Amino acid sequence: MADNNEELNLKDRLSLIESMIAEGRRTTGSWGWTFVFWGVAYYVAIAWTALYHWPWAWLVTMAGAWAVCWIIIRQKQKNMPERRPGTTIGRAIFSIWIAMGVSMGLLLPSLGFSGRFNQNIFVAVVAAMLGVANGASGMIIRWKAQIAAAFVWWVATVAACFGTESQSTVVFLIAIFLCQIVFGGYAMSCEARERRLEAHHA
Amino acid sequence: MPELPELNPVIHGKLRLALLSLLSGVEEAEFTWLRAKTGSTDGNLGAQLMKLEEAGYVSVEKKFVQRKPQTLYRMTEAGRTAFTEYVQALKQLLGNAVVSE
Repeated sequence: MADNNEELNLKDRLSLIESMIAEGRRTTGSWGWTFVFWGVAYYVAIAWTALYHWPWAWLVTMAGAWAVCWIIIRQKQKNMPERRPGTTIGRAIFSIWIAMGVSMGLLLPSLGFSGRFNQNIFVAVVAAMLGVANGASGMIIRWKAQIAAAFVWWVATVAACFGTESQSTVVFLIAIFLCQIVFGGYAMSCEARERRLEAHHA
Repeated sequence: MPELPELNPVIHGKLRLALLSLLSGVEEAEFTWLRAKTGSTDGNLGAQLMKLEEAGYVSVEKKFVQRKPQTLYRMTEAGRTAFTEYVQALKQLLGNAVVSE
């Protein structure tokens, strides 16, 4: 009996370890909204450029979107009861997206100012970079939906290289809808489900 | 007959075990987060964390963020090694228990 108790105790300990490790790694952060947010920002920039032909439309929209995004993130962090600890995986994913943002922020204006910018190159570069970021993030966290989003971006990259200017724009608009709006909405619903589960377990 | 492994008494305490398990999955964690996850009281949590700190299994960093005090805990290399050894010993003991049935 004593042995059985001891065994039960050991098993309990092992399951305690497993549950606590899982608890620590649980990412209940909400990032799905950023996909939708940036998708809308891309649409605003595209519409602004198409309607008013203002060359600074993209730069101004992206800079404004960065500022708003940063303010929302800061506000969300302030409202959290306790700071969520960082994980190595979280830092890796964050680094990928920041590096992608910096690369785009440097490359695209440079292409514009140097006069080497054209619609096909723009869509191909943006789609390839978003494909890298989504693909790497999806592979790190083994999330098939995000890997699928990366695949859509990669298809858009190839299509932009071979299609006409207007075809590349249509491809870009479709990719934004699928990979930012639809995927972002799906990510948000997954996060909401996670939060409900967490509240249920608490 | 193979010798049965001994379980590290510092880690064996239930709350200390939970704390090391939590810290093994994150880079660093705030006191308040550890308290929320373990559901323990400030006093008990502080005492157990101090024992882990004395054993060299966790390191503590105290700082001020926006004028608010913040206490961050990290698992040390010694803590990671001890925790891994503890889990291995636990699995070995469980394996022996299953075999002897």
